[in-house]
Amino acid sequence: MSCNVPQSGSSVLHRMDPRCRLAGLFVLIFAYSYVSDLRLLGIMLLLTLMLFFLSGLPARFILQKLKLPSIIILVLVLSLPFVSGQNILLDLGFISLKQEGLHASGLIAARFLCIISTVMIVLHTAPLLTHVKAMRAMGLPWIMADMALLTGRYLEVLGCDLRRMQTAMRLRGLHVSRPGLYMLRTRAWLCGSLLVRGLERADWVYRAMRLRGYGQGRAANPKYRATALDLAVLTAALLAAGTVIGAEIWLGL
Amino acid sequence: MHIPDGILPLPATLGGYAACAAAVFFCLHRINKRSDPAEDIPKAALLTAAFFVASLIHIPIPPASVHLVLSGLLGVLLGFFAVPAILIGLFFQAAMFGHGGLTTLGINGVIIGFPAMAAHYIFRFGTRGKPGQKQTAAFAFLAGSLAIMLSVLLFSLLLVTAVPADMGAAVEKTAILVIIAAHVPLALIEGVITAMTATFLLRVSPRVLHGV
Repeated sequence: MSCNVPQSGSSVLHRMDPRCRLAGLFVLIFAYSYVSDLRLLGIMLLLTLMLFFLSGLPARFILQKLKLPSIIILVLVLSLPFVSGQNILLDLGFISLKQEGLHASGLIAARFLCIISTVMIVLHTAPLLTHVKAMRAMGLPWIMADMALLTGRYLEVLGCDLRRMQTAMRLRGLHVSRPGLYMLRTRAWLCGSLLVRGLERADWVYRAMRLRGYGQGRAANPKYRATALDLAVLTAALLAAGTVIGAEIWLGL
Repeated sequence: MHIPDGILPLPATLGGYAACAAAVFFCLHRINKRSDPAEDIPKAALLTAAFFVASLIHIPIPPASVHLVLSGLLGVLLGFFAVPAILIGLFFQAAMFGHGGLTTLGINGVIIGFPAMAAHYIFRFGTRGKPGQKQTAAFAFLAGSLAIMLSVLLFSLLLVTAVPADMGAAVEKTAILVIIAAHVPLALIEGVITAMTATFLLRVSPRVLHGV
């Protein structure tokens, strides 16, 4: 479950103020999702490539991260040219390739690739919990921020609990892959045990947190200080997003 | 049942964020009314982590396998913490696995969060007083399966109507029906798993079932 991420690095993105990094990320991905003109896809791909080179992350790592999400969207991208649209480009008898479907398919594929690559690149230049802390500093409600920090902290612990319970089940001869109600009951009990363990652990965690002063006032945000370089990179991201949106509006006129 | 990035146009994704923000505001308002909201946060957070981990348990449906969503059970146990918990889970999934998306975080929060809240109300309404095993199992099944079916309905409606392509009414209707029909086995499995987990919790640790 761990992110097995090369988070350490010395690139501009790695050293950037997390608030500027997150603001830049969201502005860019929403600008990409606004694009509906295929002529702008080149600019989006170029911006994504520039971001990748700026991050200094290994290409293999990013490609590995893109594999699973790409499989999920492949079905839609492959089916749309055949089910959507009126203008037939190629008639194969029982099935026909349509222009509008092909356009929508290309648009979705390119937008998806650019957005997911941007997200993976930016979020993997720092630990996930650093981004949550930055979100808290940017105004995320304290209940959600505290929940997210604790959830992130205990994901690995409960993941280990699950693996341990599954091993114990196998050692006791429970055939978890046997089909039918037996298998579902085994899964349900496994799930129930995990929830009980989670809640028991929550009691200890809460007591420990109270002893350390939790609930006696809101936690202070980390002291962030955006440097001139951080602001320059954020401005560049805003300009890039503005260019994409401006070009989309201009091409649509 | 997560809509990935890049499929929906900007108005749909922004609308999703607005609807989800309203739901989160309502839930946090209800949580803040408690005498000590901080007391419940570790419980809600660890149950969120447990749900995240439990959703990785696969159920083999030959020739493939499905993973559990558990949104109904999450709604039943977490109550008003369910929508924030789902948003946090979706954020972690998007950041760690690229499953779902960040532009579609709001809309996915609506697709999974609103049915989870519906499941919460169904279960709490059906198990008032001192419910027995059968009553608990029946309403847990209803909550679990209905949450999935509502999510599938929202998912298919949004996916088919907001995709930037003209499919025609007949194709759209067929696509929605195909998506719903494909998820009926998952809804039944989720219902059964929710019912079995709820009765297990009623026997082993009833306070977990009382929720956060």
